[in-house]
Amino acid sequence: MQKFSFNRRLVIIIVCLIVSFALMTVSVAIRNKRSTPPLIQQFGNDIVGLADRVVALPANGLHGSVSAISELLNTYQENQQLKKQVSELAQTKVRDQTLAKENKQLKTQLKLNDSLTDYTAISAAVITRTPSSWQNQVIINKGASAGVVKNMPVMSGSGLVGRVAEVNKTNSKVELITDNNDSANRFAVSITTKSGKTVNGVLSGYKSDTGQITMNNLTTKSKISKGDKVVTSGLGGVTPKGLYVGTVAKSVGDDYGLSTKLYITPATDLSELNIVTVAVTKQ
Amino acid sequence: MYRLSKMRFGFPIGLFLMLFLDGSLSQVFSSQMFGVPSVMISHLVVLWLVCGVLFEENMTIPLVKWAVVVGIVFDLYYTGIFGVYIFVFPLVVYVTRQLVKYISPNFLSGLLIYFIDITIVEALSFLASRVVHMTSMSGSAFLVNTLAPTLALNLALFVVLYFPIRGVYNWLK
Repeated sequence: MQKFSFNRRLVIIIVCLIVSFALMTVSVAIRNKRSTPPLIQQFGNDIVGLADRVVALPANGLHGSVSAISELLNTYQENQQLKKQVSELAQTKVRDQTLAKENKQLKTQLKLNDSLTDYTAISAAVITRTPSSWQNQVIINKGASAGVVKNMPVMSGSGLVGRVAEVNKTNSKVELITDNNDSANRFAVSITTKSGKTVNGVLSGYKSDTGQITMNNLTTKSKISKGDKVVTSGLGGVTPKGLYVGTVAKSVGDDYGLSTKLYITPATDLSELNIVTVAVTKQ
Repeated sequence: MYRLSKMRFGFPIGLFLMLFLDGSLSQVFSSQMFGVPSVMISHLVVLWLVCGVLFEENMTIPLVKWAVVVGIVFDLYYTGIFGVYIFVFPLVVYVTRQLVKYISPNFLSGLLIYFIDITIVEALSFLASRVVHMTSMSGSAFLVNTLAPTLALNLALFVVLYFPIRGVYNWLK
């Protein structure tokens, strides 16, 4: 009798393990290949998301008021610094407007419709964050009904923070660039060096102990120096051109001495996301 | 007994409240919890389930069923990878029930049991993530950067929340 119950327990454990692996494999495959999750999952996620908002709203509101008080203490210093920047900003803005206008005129002359830099923005609030250390994901309150499509780039503050990984009707999951999994989207980026040369490449991962994005396999001869700006190149089609990623922190030779490896400091503090912008490419 | 008490509705409501609080805490304190390099993860859902075992006494709550339900929601809503927490949460309930048979539950032994449970949750989810290539973190980095801070945070939460949760359970009975 003792032996029988032991065997039964073993069978249950093995069946559970097999089912678990099967489910994980299937869901990872679905996540990578299909543009939206199955309808039942979408429906469930929408309902749960709705319930979550009831809990998340007071929590985020409380956080907002606490951080408002702490920000008030820094306001004076910040104000002094900002005043210096404002005068420059006004100039840049006017110039930006003129250039945009000129760009539009030139485009109509050339009969170009949309180029790589064109995108419209959907702004969304972060509802909650996945409590897991291997999946750096946040859940935002805009979904397919607002026009969000899988793989769209997501920005916050001044720079790129991630891409849309899963789209439901009213909410969607954003995989941050700090996520290190095998299927994460590798953004195509370009760096303009001090000498004016453009270097193209692909972001390859994230170094969690220093908080820097890595970029491998660069075989360029041109010298990349610290502080060079990294922006998306628009190659590959999904990501528009010209989204700011960060600045080069360090440029070293890779392990085999054949290519260059770059460390990039992200433009936005990725652990403090409240409002994000989804960039929609015009197709 | 269970059918007639407030527990029948109170337990699931508390469970889902804890589930959403996990996410909200991670979002609100993200700069403290998801720092570089160490990462802390709150497991209030596990705390609620373990407390369910510790405080149920002669009332049997269908904990395993609810653990499966909350595991499904966790997998679909938070991670998007189905098949991890749906098995981990019921396993935690099972292990805790086995341990309670040998150790009579009180504050300190509860702390010990919760220590074991969190280790199981973190280790299994790490193994699962490694298997499906969701992470490339090495085992030693996991122990130092994730498991240790997570245990510290969750044991602190246990100490703070043990008596309030006991109060809630006693009120629900």
